[in-house]
Amino acid sequence: MSFFDRTARDWLLTELFSGMALTFRYMFKPRVTINYPYEKGPLSPRFRGEHALRRYPNGEERCIACKLCEAICPAQAITIEAEPRDDGSRRTTRYDIDMTKCIYCGFCQEACPVDAIVEGPNFEFATETRAELMYDKDKLLANGDRWEVELAARIEADAPYR
Amino acid sequence: MAEFFTNLLGQDLGTLVWIVLRILVIVAPLLLGVAYLTYAERKVLGAMQLRKGPNVVGPFGLTQPLADGIKLFFKETIIPTDANKFVFVLAPALTFILALVAWAVIPFFEGGALANVNVGILYLFAISSLGVYGIIMAGWASNSKYAFLGSLRSAAQMVSYEVSIGFVLVAILLCVGSLNLSDVVHAQEKSVWFIVPHLPLFIIFYVSGLAETNRLPFDLPEGESELVAGYMVEYSAMTFALFFLGEYANMILMSGMITTLFLGGWLAPFGLAAPFGLVKLWGLFWFLAKIAVMLFGFLWVRATFPRYRYDQLMRLGWKVFLPFSLFWLVLTAGVLEYTGWMRS
Amino acid sequence: MPVKLTIDGQEVEVEAGSTILQTADYMGIEIPRFCYHERLAIAGNCRMCLVEVEKSPKPVASCAMPVAEGMVVKTDTPMVKKAREGVLEFLLINHPLDCPICDQGGECDLQDETVAYGRGKSRFEENKRAVEDKDFGPNVKGTMTRCIHCTRCIRFITDVAGVPELGATGRGEHMEVGTYVEKALSSELSGNIVDLCPVGALTSRPYAFTARSWELKKTESVDVLDALGSAIRVDTRSNQVMRILPAINDDINEEWLGDKSRNSYDGLLRQRLDRPYVRNKKGKLEAASWGDALKAVAAKLTKAGGSKIAAIAGDLADAEAMVALKDLFTALGSANIDCRQDGAKIGGPRGSYIFNSGIAGIEEADALLLIGTNPRVEAPVLNARIRKRYLKGGFKVGAVGPAANLTYKHENFGDEAKILEAIASGKHDFAKVLKDAKRPMLIIGQGAVARADGDVILGLARKIAEATGMVTDGWNGFNMLHQAAARVGGLDLGFVPGKGGHDVAGILDGAEKGEIEVVYLLGADEIDMNRLGKAFVIYQGHHGDAGAHRADVVLPGAAYTEKGGTYVNTEGRVQVTRLAVFPPGEAKEDWKILRALAEVAGHAPGYDTIEQVRARLAQVNPVFGRLDELSPAAWEAFGAEGKVSGDAFAATIANYYMTDPISRASTTMAECTAAFVNTAAERTGTHG
Repeated sequence: MSFFDRTARDWLLTELFSGMALTFRYMFKPRVTINYPYEKGPLSPRFRGEHALRRYPNGEERCIACKLCEAICPAQAITIEAEPRDDGSRRTTRYDIDMTKCIYCGFCQEACPVDAIVEGPNFEFATETRAELMYDKDKLLANGDRWEVELAARIEADAPYR
Repeated sequence: MAEFFTNLLGQDLGTLVWIVLRILVIVAPLLLGVAYLTYAERKVLGAMQLRKGPNVVGPFGLTQPLADGIKLFFKETIIPTDANKFVFVLAPALTFILALVAWAVIPFFEGGALANVNVGILYLFAISSLGVYGIIMAGWASNSKYAFLGSLRSAAQMVSYEVSIGFVLVAILLCVGSLNLSDVVHAQEKSVWFIVPHLPLFIIFYVSGLAETNRLPFDLPEGESELVAGYMVEYSAMTFALFFLGEYANMILMSGMITTLFLGGWLAPFGLAAPFGLVKLWGLFWFLAKIAVMLFGFLWVRATFPRYRYDQLMRLGWKVFLPFSLFWLVLTAGVLEYTGWMRS
Repeated sequence: MPVKLTIDGQEVEVEAGSTILQTADYMGIEIPRFCYHERLAIAGNCRMCLVEVEKSPKPVASCAMPVAEGMVVKTDTPMVKKAREGVLEFLLINHPLDCPICDQGGECDLQDETVAYGRGKSRFEENKRAVEDKDFGPNVKGTMTRCIHCTRCIRFITDVAGVPELGATGRGEHMEVGTYVEKALSSELSGNIVDLCPVGALTSRPYAFTARSWELKKTESVDVLDALGSAIRVDTRSNQVMRILPAINDDINEEWLGDKSRNSYDGLLRQRLDRPYVRNKKGKLEAASWGDALKAVAAKLTKAGGSKIAAIAGDLADAEAMVALKDLFTALGSANIDCRQDGAKIGGPRGSYIFNSGIAGIEEADALLLIGTNPRVEAPVLNARIRKRYLKGGFKVGAVGPAANLTYKHENFGDEAKILEAIASGKHDFAKVLKDAKRPMLIIGQGAVARADGDVILGLARKIAEATGMVTDGWNGFNMLHQAAARVGGLDLGFVPGKGGHDVAGILDGAEKGEIEVVYLLGADEIDMNRLGKAFVIYQGHHGDAGAHRADVVLPGAAYTEKGGTYVNTEGRVQVTRLAVFPPGEAKEDWKILRALAEVAGHAPGYDTIEQVRARLAQVNPVFGRLDELSPAAWEAFGAEGKVSGDAFAATIANYYMTDPISRASTTMAECTAAFVNTAAERTGTHG
């Protein structure tokens, strides 16, 4: 019977039509895409977007130039130079991230002992030139200042799982 | 109308103007149709893949084709250094022109063909066979191995499927007894639409039509993943746009042929009478509606099936369609001879 | 007498008197430790090296436990594991865990051993101890909260450096390591306590926060800032020297390094000559291309030619450059070449100008006479070696020269050269001491020979050596201590005036009188530039020091971290520096500059590659073919008879921290100078 069965199926093109029926049904299902610039999907508190350097509430920058992020960075996108600041504390004189090299793995924020370098929720930082993606310390600190409220909230939300 | 022009401009000039006008009346909506076919394709594909499709440019993205056209128009036409410039530029133009001239014999409604010639089917067959030249020329003139391989594939594919298309046409014209396309429709008016007795032929013709227009699942000449767009790889801007227009015009043409040959052309189903006596408009409406359904089928198939492997494509053409259409031809001839059915 | 014992099931035979830890090291069994160090006295206070010894109820500190016959030691039992975990937990109770801001992070013994042997968690929940930071001067940075009281630094400063300035005050949790009253560590070897410190309590001040150990490229090289040729490791990041550390070379520096050699690396970045300059008609140095500069130099040299041109090699010149310069001047027909900027009257047979016994030979000597030298500032590492020998006992040291604190007991007979005559003739008491010694030794410094009667004093020294039996089979106690890394190399390849040629004094006289028209300075900055008169001066070197200021053409060369240069140390040991970074800007390796210049001048030498230059060196003196080994020199007659002048021996180094262009350009060395040398100097209103 199976032979007839199969032959009948072959000649009646049932597979083709069942496939087409499937796509036809799908045509009336609700769309899964969102209208991006106007609608946005939900972001996890662990979402790894644009980098930022945070400050303490008193305005002191958190980064202590331990260079763990630089060491762990698999893309070697981070460059740090440091020296003692006038008050003798250990601070960076240069903190560069080459955002064109970065692979957004989040190791830097994992490695950071003081939650200074973080990957924020912002993923809309496209630029017109590559040069603009060479972030320096000022840019990263400015990012930190701009996103601080979100960053703090994200870190708090994720804290129980760390 | 024709008299109006001959009276105004004299016999020769008047006729010429009248013909040119009629051509424009066909070509202009056709190009518009092509443009919106691309829009429809993106919308339908999007819908079947749970996406939205173009929706940014204009309301519901309706002016998207216009934007695409403008973009292509303003882009720089790049001609490769080692290409044969004349042939390189000629090829897309040829493809495009061939896709348009075939429309001359298609009857849109009762008596509504630009040239109601008696060799309509033969003409269509000839024109569609010529289409392969554009592709071969493009592939050769590009002086690129990808383009060349793409064009060879395309040529082999089109030639192969033309054979079965040919036999399908023969079977149809056996039933009609005429090569005039209007007669084909009239024959269906008298009996039934040919899709009913010739359903397998319809399927063969439809599938061959997909192959003939290089549509999925038979888009091997383009083969993005293997041949980076095949014979069109070196084309850009307007030259590319002409290929693009040609391909979509061919799709519409193929749908028009199917409509005429199998779906009764301008005939309304179940003999529905034209409201308010608008017979010609009624015919045109049904003709276009059938074309639209066929075109939707093209898109539907694209959304459903993955691309064929080339040897499978050839096997299908030569080992399935050709023997079957031959068998069907003999069967049709036998039945006709035995019963005298449809012999007028 | 050998002793048999078992460690971890392996039987081993070692000399009686070794400790369990030493035996385990010898067998390749790892026992963690903090306070124990091979070159320091045993303290046994960190308890990290606890092991289990059979029949002993408690774990035993292996660093302080001598081996005994039939001992069965186990280093991998649960008891040992528990002991180590306990010790580490206790150490970490009062360790701040500020690794991210600690410069030791990444090369910290406490970090490594905590990872390897620690519990991973602490049960300590109370407040940690905190200790105020102490100021140890410009070389060492103290973050004393991190101190784990291993006392390595105290033992080093007290025993090796011989400057008992560090100690521990308080007991138990209140114990603090520090100088008793706040002061900078005055030892020239103070930097070594940074290396010794197993944690980050003592870190390098110049290196502070600038780099991490894991991002540094390490290049083994040779130090040239004194004449010892100490083994060093140059740590670099991108194209910058981040720090210099000693490497181990038991024959020269063991594992110590003087502060100047260690911390003057920042001078490699300052005052650098990075492109050729030519003095224009207005008398200003103007940047020029290599082609123009070399053309100008070649034109001057060939135009003057012969006896009207002269060359002086400086103290940091490598042998390759000197041989290239010598070959060029020979081709130009000039014999006016000299490598002795200070005018030392040396250069006879090889045995007369090298440290014949070898630096390691000091440990075999049993009496020492220092002539016109202060090894503490001329070569602090060598001085530490003398002190090491002194601490073993039975070692009498006499000195003729300016009085100085040498860190060990010695008798200073005064600073008059005449005393030497007394010793030579046997009239002096110390002559008897030397004669009675089995292996007597003398060290003659540059202060004794760099004077008008230098050759007479050299002759006297030879007489002393011969009279007191310093030169016997297998022992040669006649030692000359140099101050310039280039000196022995220059003498070995004969960079001294040829027949009819002038030495440095003669060249300066000639230039002043106008007889010498062109002077080529190969990194020579220590001569009196005012005496060069109207001569056309070419300066080839790496720093904008005295020479470059006077020069009419400046050719930028490479410093010792930027080239593979051959240097011969005071022992006559041929060593090669390695390229750690590239020379700045358009600067080139020195021999290449001279090779190019020779070609422009139409005297292309027969060598194009560094290998060919080295082959040429070996051709000039076969010594250069034997890398890193001592070549014993034959004992021949040298020196001169004559009357010594009544002049006293003068100290040759006024400021240990600034002796060459590199250390003079270093800010760290400037700070050291301010802290240690100019302390007594009057402070004016502009000081801070």
